[in-house]
Amino acid sequence: MILETKGLKYSYHDGTQALKGIDVKIKKGKKIAFVGKNGSGKSTLFMLLNGTLKPKEGTVHFHGKPMEYDSKSLREIRKSVGIVFQNSDDQIFAPTVYQDVGFGPTNLGHSKEEVDELVEKTLEYIGITEFRNKPPHHLSGGQKKRVAIAGVCSMEPEVMILDEPLANLDPVGADEILDLLNELNQNNTTMIISTHDVELAYSWADYVYFMNEGNIIGEGAPEDVFKDMELLKKSNLRQPRTLEIYNELERRNLATRNKFPTSVPELVHSLKPPELMWIEVSPDVKEGDVVNLGILHGEYAINSPYEAVNAKVLHIHPEGHAIAEMTRHGIKSGGIFIYDMDKYDAVPFKRILAEEDIDTIGAMGKKSKSLADKQLIDLQITSGVIDKSILMALCGKRSMILTSGGMIDHAVKRIDEYAESSGIAIQLSLVNFEREELGV
Amino acid sequence: MTNILDDYALVSPLRYRNNWLKIAIVGFGVLVGVSSQSFIPPFAIALCMSFATVHFGKTSLKFYLTILSAPAVFVLLSVIIIAFFFGSGTEIFGFNIFSYHLGVNTGGLEMALLVFSRTLSGMSCLFFLALTTPMVELFSVLKATKLPDSFIEISMMMYRYIFVFLEVAWGIKYAQTVRLGYKDWRTSLTSLAMLSTTLFIRSWEQGEKIFISMSARCYDGKLIFFEEKRPIRANELVLTCTYFAVVLTLWYLTRINSVF
Repeated sequence: MILETKGLKYSYHDGTQALKGIDVKIKKGKKIAFVGKNGSGKSTLFMLLNGTLKPKEGTVHFHGKPMEYDSKSLREIRKSVGIVFQNSDDQIFAPTVYQDVGFGPTNLGHSKEEVDELVEKTLEYIGITEFRNKPPHHLSGGQKKRVAIAGVCSMEPEVMILDEPLANLDPVGADEILDLLNELNQNNTTMIISTHDVELAYSWADYVYFMNEGNIIGEGAPEDVFKDMELLKKSNLRQPRTLEIYNELERRNLATRNKFPTSVPELVHSLKPPELMWIEVSPDVKEGDVVNLGILHGEYAINSPYEAVNAKVLHIHPEGHAIAEMTRHGIKSGGIFIYDMDKYDAVPFKRILAEEDIDTIGAMGKKSKSLADKQLIDLQITSGVIDKSILMALCGKRSMILTSGGMIDHAVKRIDEYAESSGIAIQLSLVNFEREELGV
Repeated sequence: MTNILDDYALVSPLRYRNNWLKIAIVGFGVLVGVSSQSFIPPFAIALCMSFATVHFGKTSLKFYLTILSAPAVFVLLSVIIIAFFFGSGTEIFGFNIFSYHLGVNTGGLEMALLVFSRTLSGMSCLFFLALTTPMVELFSVLKATKLPDSFIEISMMMYRYIFVFLEVAWGIKYAQTVRLGYKDWRTSLTSLAMLSTTLFIRSWEQGEKIFISMSARCYDGKLIFFEEKRPIRANELVLTCTYFAVVLTLWYLTRINSVF
């Protein structure tokens, strides 16, 4: 538990009660989303979490210890809990990007050389080195957001709080920021965001809090909270589109039950009418178990030459007769290749592209994208790269993901998770690095 | 959005040259231009500075002439008046208006030329600085002048937020214009008053917001200054010295042969 609040209450000078008793527990390394309409108290809560505001009642605990409000303790808290404000102009005050990113580290008492090193590292990591000498008014909204994030990143906080990080960004700009948030989380930063974008909260977060009029009115894993229509109505929100489509399909019996797809590949995967079959099962199999029926071919394989078939036992009749729901997976599926751009080498790269018969190339992360640009690599996918590559693989296509650093872990983990939850083994090849090098 | 001189300076290749060298060149130009007794050195300075701004600074010639034309018109008007009403010597030409004689004599003409050339050289020196050295570079120069830190810090933040409020002001102005807020003198006055009130309140709020966001990043009264190491290159030094030498020679020669 990295941050915890107990009975947190706050009211402003004019008497409006912004928070009316908030209890949240935030675990280390998670992605948390606070969802609620405007004015539900999200921003106030965030300012309490890093000690900018002092609660009228209740306490905030950081690493189990109640927060103190003397200037020394506040320094510690603010070093560890960084806030990125919704409006970048409220945050970026220095005349150049370099100075703004260096502001935090300077305040932490680093020497000039250390600050310089930290700033260069952060600029490179966020992919904004080219803007270092620019004044902020020469940047676009998305670029300013990156600078604002860099300004907090350079302090190397344990927790990063972002107030509406994707507000007012164009779709591609938003995707880039989202990539960045995932990458930061992959490097073990706990991420907390506020949003009223249900799609974002549903697909991105590990844990979601619903806020309404200063109260937490619901919390849980996204697939649990977003199916609760009553809760959504109370918070003035609607269901995420993927879930809505899935619900309609399921109601018409066109999709397998009890899946909660958070992305398009998962939605597509659920798109199968249940196929029922009588099978014989041994006495120790219980209802709800999954039985591996092995590999079928010839007339038993419907969609591809060879199919791996799993059966979920729905009901067992006496003497081992059971009704099972079949799931078939074509064995010859496409593949995904992951290439570490930190070790980019043009000649072997071109060879692999040709040898492996790659259909599409996608890049993740600003650094990889700009390198690919410089190397004149034609990128077909630049946003939602992992999801789209999985979709391609499901259609038997082969795609290559160019990425670097923590994003590799993220991609591998995501594809592994998909393979595990769907039962479809996607051929995942790591081109120029070993699985052992990863932190997964 | 209209561009301001600072925007041109930010993209100028001369931005990345040593600031002190640029300031020295400008200071030299202004001093020599003003102290010169003849119109030749100021003209030489104006020519060199304009060439440097347009050629080395990559400012478009058209834009340069446009901004130069504003003071030039003003100077031309003054010069005409000076030529007619000042100085003595042989009259070059003259005419009568309503039995009042107006004439230009050699002294007046020379004085007019001197005023014109001095103004031109001063302007071109300042434009050279303005078009090649953005504010963000000048802050480090200010820092080295041992001015109080808080003074420079406040000016840095003022610089930053000028642009934020400029955008806000343009936004409000546009919103007022499309709803006929400037249709006549009276409404313009009311609209302008509202605009300034809103801007004042906005800047007050912005100040509070910045304070919160700065303390969220552990602000303790220290700002980092943008200091780039930009050593003077040999060719720059040679070019500058040559320029100084040529101008000084001109200045010396014209001083001796001065007609005054």
